[in-house]
Amino acid sequence: MLALKNSVIDLHHSEKKTLIGFFSLYITLCIVILIFISFVYYKFQKDLMLSEKRINLQNYSNEFIIRLKQLHINFDKSQVYPRDTRFKSAIYDSDKQLIFSTLKSSHVQLDNIVYTSNKTIHFIKEPESYYLGARYVILEIEDDLEWFSKIEQEILIFTSIGLIFMLFIGYWLLQLFIKPMRDAMHLLDRFIKDTTHELNTPISAIVANVEMIDTSNLDEKLARKIKRIDIGAKTVSNIYQDLTYLTLNHQIMSQNEYLDVGQILHQRVEYFTTLANVKHIAFKMNIKEDVILFIDVKKLSKLIDNLISNAIKYNKINGSIQITLSEKNFTIEDSGKGIKKEQLDLLYERYSRFDKSVGGFGIGLNIVSMICKEYNLNIHISSEISIGTKVDVSWK
Amino acid sequence: MEINVFIKKALQTIFSFGLFLLLLITTEVQASVYTKNCIACHKEIPVSIDKYFYRYLLKYSSEKKVKHAIKYYLQNPSQEKTVMADAFINRFGIKKKTKLNEEQLNKAINEYWESYKIFGKLK
Repeated sequence: MLALKNSVIDLHHSEKKTLIGFFSLYITLCIVILIFISFVYYKFQKDLMLSEKRINLQNYSNEFIIRLKQLHINFDKSQVYPRDTRFKSAIYDSDKQLIFSTLKSSHVQLDNIVYTSNKTIHFIKEPESYYLGARYVILEIEDDLEWFSKIEQEILIFTSIGLIFMLFIGYWLLQLFIKPMRDAMHLLDRFIKDTTHELNTPISAIVANVEMIDTSNLDEKLARKIKRIDIGAKTVSNIYQDLTYLTLNHQIMSQNEYLDVGQILHQRVEYFTTLANVKHIAFKMNIKEDVILFIDVKKLSKLIDNLISNAIKYNKINGSIQITLSEKNFTIEDSGKGIKKEQLDLLYERYSRFDKSVGGFGIGLNIVSMICKEYNLNIHISSEISIGTKVDVSWK
Repeated sequence: MEINVFIKKALQTIFSFGLFLLLLITTEVQASVYTKNCIACHKEIPVSIDKYFYRYLLKYSSEKKVKHAIKYYLQNPSQEKTVMADAFINRFGIKKKTKLNEEQLNKAINEYWESYKIFGKLK
């Protein structure tokens, strides 16, 4: 059993799918590239800022080391650590043990020369002589983060511009890529529209004239021929109606009314009797009376027609079609060859056909799906190979 | 009676001697290896013992390295290993090899470090 999607599959469905797939891939790629470029730019700007600060820090550290030297020489007289208002400092020995610190942050990276951490800039200097045992002298100055907000702003502006530009390029590329596909789809659609238009008059003429012939007055041979013409005309008429429905669907307003579903089912079965007789298919009807549905008569007929037409088309010779109507659903069950499980998903795709041995365009179930969607009908198709297919249409 | 006085005096003498001996041993124990073996000699030189420490610190920086360098020098002093200036060596010469054993040497160096280390002294 498969719960089938109710989505309308229009002509541009595959186009949209390709479009979304390509575009998401393209955007992801663009974003990754822009992030990478931004990161490189950020690193570059940060290094530039640090190298500017480094000149000052270098001078500070030279002064500081001179003061450390004086303290080292006179340590027996004074033990006051040299302080400066312009920077904070710390000294570490060669085992990276802290000797003294006035730093705000306790975490230092002694293997770096200059780096930022927690709104401060640290500068590491290794003096030639280890005054007071200080192998590493760390200077710390406040980081006003002005450089950061400047870079942030620049990156934001440039990535936005870059992204918009890339979007345009992407859109242009997309148009280029899907053009052949779109052309093919349009060609098919145009062909169907044109064919439909041109078929209108001859089909109407055939159907009307065949119906007007009184077969009871004819001899048996001729009557059989007329019957075959009738079947052929009905088949063509059916296909024609399907095509009209598809091509003009969005322009036709639904004229909904309360309909007796049982009555319509009987009518449609009767319409298909001649067609079913060719394959010696018997209809088994189990119809509950007075089941009313608020629906457009043409659309309900179209829905039922397509299901019955399929049930006949894919049935075996001497098979049967069971039609059951209950209060909230009707089922049409054939005794045909069945549909493979993996193909059930694709049933509603337009122009998809699984059995090329029988005629058709593969638009029937697409129409069924559109009608079901419009009237909130749930459709379930279950199938077993060699046993048959069961279509269940239910409503609330 | 006379014998009694003699015994009393003898006991008094033994007791005073014992007390003196005890005092001597206590003093002996209290004076550390460092005081006895290092300060004692360095007192004779006009350069105070802390100056050597700052020289070591200047060159070796960390506790482990300073201690190791001092020990290495004391175990086998030479002009190449000294941290002192040439002028100093020319005037006072190289010290003799230490007679202290490993443990005593470690003790003395530890005390030396504790006396002059920078840690905890800066204000």
